[in-house]
Amino acid sequence: MNNLTIAWIVFPFIVGFVIYLFPKLDRYLALLGAIVSGGYAFSLLVQQSPLKLQLIDTFGVTLEADQLSGFFILTNALVTAAVILYCWDTGKSAFFYAQAIILHGSVNATFVCSDFVSLYVALEVSGIAAFLLIAYPRTDRSLWVALRYLFTSNVAMLFYLIGAVLVYQANHSFAFAGLREAPPEALALIFLGLLVKGGVFVSGLWLPLTHSESETPVSAMLSGVVVKTGIFPLVRCALVISEIDPIVRFFGVATALFGVFYAVFEKDSKRMLAFHTVSQLGFVLAAPEVGGFYALTHGLVKSALFLIAGSLPSRNFKELQQTPINTPIWIALVIASFSISGFPMLSGFGAKVLTMKNLVPWQVIVMNLAALGTAISFAKFIFLPHQKVENAEKMRAGFWGALIVLLGGLILANVIYYDAYTLENIIKPLAIIALGWLVYYFILKKSTIKLPRFGEKFDDLVGFMSLVLVFLFWMGFAWLGI
Amino acid sequence: MLEAFVFATIMCGFFGILLKKNLVMKIISMDVMSAGVVAYYVLIASRNGLFTPILSDAKNLAFADPVPQGVILTAIVIGLSIQALMLVGVMKLSRDNPTLEIDEIEKNNTP
Repeated sequence: MNNLTIAWIVFPFIVGFVIYLFPKLDRYLALLGAIVSGGYAFSLLVQQSPLKLQLIDTFGVTLEADQLSGFFILTNALVTAAVILYCWDTGKSAFFYAQAIILHGSVNATFVCSDFVSLYVALEVSGIAAFLLIAYPRTDRSLWVALRYLFTSNVAMLFYLIGAVLVYQANHSFAFAGLREAPPEALALIFLGLLVKGGVFVSGLWLPLTHSESETPVSAMLSGVVVKTGIFPLVRCALVISEIDPIVRFFGVATALFGVFYAVFEKDSKRMLAFHTVSQLGFVLAAPEVGGFYALTHGLVKSALFLIAGSLPSRNFKELQQTPINTPIWIALVIASFSISGFPMLSGFGAKVLTMKNLVPWQVIVMNLAALGTAISFAKFIFLPHQKVENAEKMRAGFWGALIVLLGGLILANVIYYDAYTLENIIKPLAIIALGWLVYYFILKKSTIKLPRFGEKFDDLVGFMSLVLVFLFWMGFAWLGI
Repeated sequence: MLEAFVFATIMCGFFGILLKKNLVMKIISMDVMSAGVVAYYVLIASRNGLFTPILSDAKNLAFADPVPQGVILTAIVIGLSIQALMLVGVMKLSRDNPTLEIDEIEKNNTP
C-alpha cells in the first residue's frame, strides 16, 4: 500500500507530461488519471486503519491517508472525470487537459499531506495550475481574474510560510501536531493562509468573482475541489488538535451564514452558485468529524450545477424566468437543487443530517438558518419555467456523460449513511425546504434588493487579509488562552 | 535586532501591495515580502550557529540548521515561477491598459 500511495501521487503529474508528448491521446490519458485516483480512493475508504508514511527522515515528507482523505480524493476523481467528459468534444487543446490533470494531481497531494511544507508545495502547485486554467481563454478579463487569484493566494501563502517556520522553531518538525506547542502567532499566520486559500468568511471574497467569471468547466472544477484544498488542512488540524476545534467551528458557522446571505439576494446564477460554495464550505468546517462526506456531496452537486448553469440560455435570473428551458436540463437542475437543499433519496440529505448531528449546541440554530437559506436560494432554480423544446439544439453527449457521473454519484453516495432514514430525520428537512419555498415564492421573487459588491476589489481583499490576521491574533491570545 | 529588520522588510512588502496603485509595483512589493520571508527562514536556521552543515573533519562546530534552508529553497523556486507567470500576464494586460493602474483594469474587467 505504501508504494501504491507514492505511485498514485506521482501518476497524474507523469500523465500531465505524457500528454504533451502525445497530444492526440490527451482526453483518454486525462480520464485514465482521474479513474486511477477514483480506484485508489475506494481502496482507502474500504480499509479501516489510517496509513502513515514517513519519507526520507524525521524532517522529510510525511503523508497520512485515511477515510477522511478518501472522501476528498473521491470527490476530486469524480469531478475531474466529469469535467474531462464535459470538455470531450469542445476542441480544447492538449494544454488544457495537461493542466487539468496536473491540477488534479496537486489537489490529490494536498489531501494526503500531513506536514506544513509539503502542504505548501501542493497548494502552490494547485494555485499555479488553477491560474493557467482560468487564464486559458486569454481574454483580458480572464487574465485579470486569474492574476487576482494568484496574487491573493500567493500573499496569503507568504504569511503561511512565516507561520510554518515558527512551528518548526518550536518543535523541530513541520508536522501538523506541532501546532499545539507552537506560539499563537504561528496558529494565526497559518490559519490566515488556509482561510484565504479556502475562501472562508470575509477573507474568501475573492471567490465569487473568480468562480463566476471563469469558463464553465473550470469553475466547476474550482468550486468542486480546488477550494477544498484550503478546507482539508483546517479540518485535519481540528481533528488532530482538539484546542483548535472551536476556532474551526466558529469560522464554519460564520461562513455558512455569510455565504448564504449573499446567495439569497444574488440575481446572477453563477455568482449565486459561487456565494453558495462559500456557505457550503462553512458546513464542512462546522462539523470537522464528518466533513469528508459533506465535501463529497457538495463537490458533486456544485460541479453539476455549474455545468448546467453554463448551458442555460442566460445568467440573469430575470431573463431565465421569461425564457422556458428544455425539460431534460430542467430535470437535471432540479435533481441537483434538491440534493443540495437536503431532500431525501439524494446524498445531500444524508450529509446534512450527519452534519446536524455532530454540531455542538450553540451552532444548531444558526446552521438551521443557513440550511433554510440554501432552500430559499435554490428555489430560484426549481421554479424556473420549462417546456419540451421541439427543435432544440442537441445537447452534446459529453454534457450528459458528465451529469450521469455526478448525479449518479449523488444517488450512490446515499448508501454511505443509510441510518439517516428515520421519520424524524426526514420530516425536518422537508419542513425546511417547504418553508424556504414559501419565503421565496411570496417574498423574494418580487424583491429587487441588490446587494452592493462590497469588498471585492483587489485592494479590499488584501485589506481584509490584515483584518482577519488581527482577528486571529486576538482569538489565539485571548479566546483560547494559549 | 536582525529579526526586527526582517519583519520590517515583510511589512514594507505587505504595505507596498496594499498601497501601490500600479500593478508592476504591486508585484515588486510581493517580491520584497517574499525576500523578507526567505530571510526569516535563514535567520531561524542560523540560531544555533553559522557553519555550513557539510561533511568535514572539523568536530563540534556550531552548525546552522539545514532543514529550514532546504525547505526555503523550494519556496524560492516557487516564488520565482509565480513572479514569472504574473509578469507574463501583466505584459498581456498592458496591451489594452498601458498605464497598468489597478483601478482602471478593475473598472474595465469587472462586470
